Amino acid sequence: MGKESFQIGITGEIIAVEYLTQKGLSVIDRNFHSQQGEIDIIAKDGDIIVFVEVKYYSFRSYGSPLGSVRKSKRQSIIHAAQTFLYKKNLRQINCRFDVISIYRDSGGKTNIDYIKDAFYVN
Amino acid sequence: MLIKLKSSALNGLDGSIVEVEVDSYKGLPGQSIVGLPDTSVRESRDRVKFAIINSGFDFPPGYFTINLAPGDIRKEGPLYDLPIAVGILSSSEQIKSDLFDETVLLGELSLNGDVRPIAGVLPICISAKKSGIKKIIVSKENADEAALVSGLDIFAVNSLKETIDLLNGNSTLAPHKIDLLKFFNTSPDFDFDFSEVKGQQHAKRAIEIAAAGGHNILMIGPPGSGKTMLAKRIPSIMPPLTIDEALEVTKLYSVTGLLNEKNSLITKRPFRTPHHTTSNIGIIGGGRIPRPGEVSLAHHGILFLDEFPEFERDVLEVMRQPLEDGKVTISRAMATITFPAEFMLVATMNPCPCGNFMDKVNPCVCPPYKIQKYWSKLSRPLLDRIDLHIEVPRLKKDDLFTLPNGDNSKIIRDRVQKARKVQELRFKNTNIHSNSRMLPKMMREYCRLETEAEEILKSAIYHLKLSGRSYDRVLKVARTIADLDDSEIIKAGHIAEAAQYRSLDAKGADLSV
Repeated sequence: MGKESFQIGITGEIIAVEYLTQKGLSVIDRNFHSQQGEIDIIAKDGDIIVFVEVKYYSFRSYGSPLGSVRKSKRQSIIHAAQTFLYKKNLRQINCRFDVISIYRDSGGKTNIDYIKDAFYVN
Repeated sequence: MLIKLKSSALNGLDGSIVEVEVDSYKGLPGQSIVGLPDTSVRESRDRVKFAIINSGFDFPPGYFTINLAPGDIRKEGPLYDLPIAVGILSSSEQIKSDLFDETVLLGELSLNGDVRPIAGVLPICISAKKSGIKKIIVSKENADEAALVSGLDIFAVNSLKETIDLLNGNSTLAPHKIDLLKFFNTSPDFDFDFSEVKGQQHAKRAIEIAAAGGHNILMIGPPGSGKTMLAKRIPSIMPPLTIDEALEVTKLYSVTGLLNEKNSLITKRPFRTPHHTTSNIGIIGGGRIPRPGEVSLAHHGILFLDEFPEFERDVLEVMRQPLEDGKVTISRAMATITFPAEFMLVATMNPCPCGNFMDKVNPCVCPPYKIQKYWSKLSRPLLDRIDLHIEVPRLKKDDLFTLPNGDNSKIIRDRVQKARKVQELRFKNTNIHSNSRMLPKMMREYCRLETEAEEILKSAIYHLKLSGRSYDRVLKVARTIADLDDSEIIKAGHIAEAAQYRSLDAKGADLSV
């Protein structure tokens, strides 16, 4: 990953964290890595643990943000989530997968699409 | 929380209760459906999710396991959407109901939460009643069909929301009722009438006999002589279905998914006209999980095969067994199912490929081998099973203007019905409805002949080279003719008329060799 796109990714995550906090979620971890995947943001929404995938575009792109979270990506997120729950010894707790997409339109305005419960296991 | 609800599975024409168990644990979100579901059942989880959300409820978090018990019956079709959705909402305590034990839920869900109709509601309701179910929740479109079964409370719902209100006790929805007799009290209304056919008295008489006794009939004639016209008018002289027959036929249409809201009970005798390109599976029924074919959809009605020899030979031969037994048993890896198939076969054909063989006006242009090939499609065993063979000659050009119209359908139907009444009395307490289905021991009892009639029959056997089976058929047809004549004993005239309808036994053999 080039330094520039890494920077862009960081910017996106900062905006996302801000947005989620505003929504009343409390962020508990960021950029959690397992062997086969990674999760951008892990937060708590009440009793529920939320795994958030952040999609950041600095220009308007086509299609829904979910469209770019393909099956292999979902699998890696799910794998990372399982690792997270195991490592933190969290059992009997409800979880959710969300996707948040952030893009700048031609006017430079930042738009945020937040998709709750975006996908599930199997 | 573990929730148990009831739904149903179809196996041929019988339903059986399926228990839908829903439970969840806290963890990564997901769903799995177990209990031998097929693809359409597996797909239900996506429909269910959106139906719940779009009905204004929360899709609860957690991992859901849905078990369809018993686990050794294959479940197919989208009918489990509604019980699964209700189960998921109940396990997250958004529905609280104590009706689950005595209620069967059936219905497909659309993404916006509407309940859609499913196939096979009638047989499911019949078997649900037998297993002690009190209430059925179905879509509005299926409600009439479900209400045909008396002694059940049928609740017709439009949407998942209405179902939930009903189960939560927040609804004033009354059980759906229909008046079964209303379906039968309407006077029969047909598009065609026999008085529209000029001349052809001989053919009309044969058709009347066929209708009166449920006999199979084959009409042979040049193009344009009125074969198809005659055949299309046969429904107008058939006696109306009894309630029991109507329910039997409706069951078959229900599992095939051919019923709709306006037409939830079949009250007219079926008239099936499959095209001659239909495959043998299409005729007999089949599929991975067997479905009724044309012979079963024509149960208690008419199977009309226009251009008989144009059908594939295989297709014609597969009909031999149902023609004899009145039912078909279809075996597949998944299931073995028996469908009833008591139909009256009406077939038409030309005497040769060009159609003009033996016609006095237009000469036939077919070389003999083509005529032979044409006829060889019809095997002797098949022709044996057709009780009446009649020739429908071309009318002379003046006949179209001068010949009388003959009796209209109503008059003929009254005669047919009278003959059917006699048969009904004869076969009461058996599951036989017409002379054509008589068993051998019944024939000995009911087909008593005059001495003179016996002589005629003997000479007919000799001259027409009748096989054992066609001998039986002659007797049955003679019995029907006697019934039309209101005669207890079969007289010489009856046998003579019946025997002349076997003309093809002698001539057909000559034509084909």
